[in-house]
Amino acid sequence: MDPFDTLGIPPRFALELTETEQRYRDLSRALHPDKYVGRPASERRMALSKAIEVNEAWRLLRDPARRAEAMFRRAGIEVGETKGAPADPELLMEMMEQREALAEVRGNKDRPGLETLVAGMREREKSVLDRLAAALDAPAPNPDALRSNLPALSELRYVRRFLEEASAAEDELT
Amino acid sequence: MNLLDIFDPKAAPRPIGIDLGTTNSLVASVSDGTPRCMGDCDGEALLPSVVHYGEAGQIIVGKEAQRLAASNPRETIVSVKRFMGRGARDPETRRLGPYAFVEPRDDDDAKVIKFDVRGKPVNPIEVSAEILRVLKKRAEDELRRVGGAVITVPAYFDDAQRQATKDAGRLAGLEVLRLLNEPTAAALAYGLDKKQNGTFAVYDLGGGTFDITILVLDDGVFQVRSTGGDSALGGDDMDRALAEVLLAAMGYPSDEGRTPEIVRLALDAARATKHGLTDKETVEVELPVRGGDTRHVSITRSQFDELIKPVVEKTGIACRRALKDAELAPESLDGVILVGGSTRVPFVRTYVERLFKRHPLADIDPDQVVALGAAVQANLLAGDGDAEEVLLLDVLPLSLGIETMGGVTEKILPRNTTIPAGAKQTFTTYADNQTGFEIHVVQGERELAADCRSLARFTLRGIPPMPAGLARLEVTFDVDADGLLDVSARETRTGIEQKVEVKPSYGLDDDQVEQMLMDALDYGEQDLAARRLAEQRVEAQRILMATRHGLETDADLLQGDDKQRIEAAADALAKVIEGTSAAAIESGISELDRLTHDWAGRRMDRAIANAIAGKSLGDVESSVKDAAGTDAHTAVADAHASAMGPGADPSLEPPVEPRPSGSGSSTRGAP
Repeated sequence: MDPFDTLGIPPRFALELTETEQRYRDLSRALHPDKYVGRPASERRMALSKAIEVNEAWRLLRDPARRAEAMFRRAGIEVGETKGAPADPELLMEMMEQREALAEVRGNKDRPGLETLVAGMREREKSVLDRLAAALDAPAPNPDALRSNLPALSELRYVRRFLEEASAAEDELT
Repeated sequence: MNLLDIFDPKAAPRPIGIDLGTTNSLVASVSDGTPRCMGDCDGEALLPSVVHYGEAGQIIVGKEAQRLAASNPRETIVSVKRFMGRGARDPETRRLGPYAFVEPRDDDDAKVIKFDVRGKPVNPIEVSAEILRVLKKRAEDELRRVGGAVITVPAYFDDAQRQATKDAGRLAGLEVLRLLNEPTAAALAYGLDKKQNGTFAVYDLGGGTFDITILVLDDGVFQVRSTGGDSALGGDDMDRALAEVLLAAMGYPSDEGRTPEIVRLALDAARATKHGLTDKETVEVELPVRGGDTRHVSITRSQFDELIKPVVEKTGIACRRALKDAELAPESLDGVILVGGSTRVPFVRTYVERLFKRHPLADIDPDQVVALGAAVQANLLAGDGDAEEVLLLDVLPLSLGIETMGGVTEKILPRNTTIPAGAKQTFTTYADNQTGFEIHVVQGERELAADCRSLARFTLRGIPPMPAGLARLEVTFDVDADGLLDVSARETRTGIEQKVEVKPSYGLDDDQVEQMLMDALDYGEQDLAARRLAEQRVEAQRILMATRHGLETDADLLQGDDKQRIEAAADALAKVIEGTSAAAIESGISELDRLTHDWAGRRMDRAIANAIAGKSLGDVESSVKDAAGTDAHTAVADAHASAMGPGADPSLEPPVEPRPSGSGSSTRGAP
């Protein structure tokens, strides 16, 4: 089920999260299992599966990489961790270097070094998000033009994975 | 209410909330809109969670049992909660304590830990059920009839510990409406009492468990952002640390010579000293020394602080991780709420204050706040109170995963996912004509499945014979609002629903619980039949009420002669309720269920449409009020139109008064 349809909101990559969360809550108020205590069993099951769908939709839409995936899918472009365009060798190379740099600051317990790396990566995340928004939210996107933006999605995944690891490294240093 | 009055014209069943604590347990209910704990005949709300098994088979719970613990340490179970959902080989059995355990016969027998009490095996579910029975009796004395119960559990309890708690409730004859996380219960009591909005941390250090929960309170929505903790960390560990010191002073520096009586005495003395040090700087303890003398030992607060430091510092790790998971800095919190008796320890308070850089809140009695919140939730679930306004969105405390090739865990639902939650995973067969499949489900954050907590093994059977790799098994993992896992499977090529055999790694299976129920009742099968009848009646009455309410609000969604058929089935069910056949009631319920199924689906769609439309209209109203000119108005209206999809022009809708969210949905007034 498409997460935008589940929440009944217009599909957009540059999503207004506060409004979307409000919609998510309104639907939860109507569907949460707490509101169906004492109802017939089949009705409770139905509400439970709807509530699960609504929770899942919000979980996907909150995450930019997953939200981008949903947008691509709506345009009929199949994406997934293993599917889609093969990673750009240049990007792979760069990411490997960045990870080595991360391992190094981690080993040296170099906090300022870590912060510089993270700041650089955040910058990069922002620029990828902007690129994706421009492509995915274009007024009349054609599938080929969209497909050419698939590398941006894999870049976003790499960047986010890097940031997750950096966050684990931060934990170690505190 | 008429329907419910059939059996006892004087009393309507009243929902209750229970805090089944490590050290103390409480029961509360809401009257006149205010939650209140119910006391024993002396007005004492705290029931010590201590169960004594007497020589003549009598069972004593509470203060009296606590007194008996000193002379009967093996026959008196203290802090049973620490053993809930644990297996016979759990490390908890090896910690300092006076108990004897039954050696498991085999792996299957080791799934549930058993105390050896007077030569008889007793499991933690049975011990907990004794505590729950006393609380239920207490509530019945005051409320006359007890309806459903909400029982609280530590947020960090895993699936096995939750299931054990629910089983204990059933065994005690309670209808468990919901398992509620303790920090969320506390937040509910605070939020509704103080009408506070904002982001809060609930620091809950009890007798045996520690929870940290970060949640957002926003106009009746209690949304948990993250949770963390340790389900084997609490005041008991402080007592043990101090007891080791006292035991050394008594002449027992090692296990040598320590009898269960001596261990119990040291633990009790440690607890009393801990309590004394809350207000005093020094406490003097009189201890019997090996050989017969007595000795006075002084314990200062700073000595005690030093001893408990490792215990308290362990909580800091979980707190920092929870803040990180919630993507928050301590400074951005609006408050820290203290829950649990162990937060009375001055060192804990100072530690929390330093950690969160603010003075923590403890306005509501930290011993009672969880039970009060549970009572509020029970009341809401029973359809009383501001059920429309309040929404609890809790999370899965530990990631759920499955074991893949090489013993690596593949996460299917990450920790802190809002529940109810579900995930689908597709598997395929690796051999020709393979008809079965085993899946190992684990809970935890570790990379290797062996390092996580094993939840269950699921065997899928009846896959149609096919070449290897051709079958597509879609397995659905659903976690309900209690945080309990349910698994179903389907072969997607043939659409055949698979049989899933659940083998829980810990705890009891359904048959064992049923057997325990039988054993617990005085007259076995006869009693069980009476109980089934009573349960079916309650269920039938609820469904009748829900159906009749639905006929009032959503009759327009019925098609053809559905209305007549549903009414006829409802009347027939009302008639069999008065009879004595549980089976007849059961079949009447399923008939009504079948007839209302499609209609229920349409009602749910209406509830969804109302939730979307109701709020959007409200938004338009309030935006218009704030908007400076017509431009803003148009923009909002446009957004609204596209949100409703094509063909749903809001301008064609009749004008609706702005109203609080949800009041137009068909779920209102659900029993």
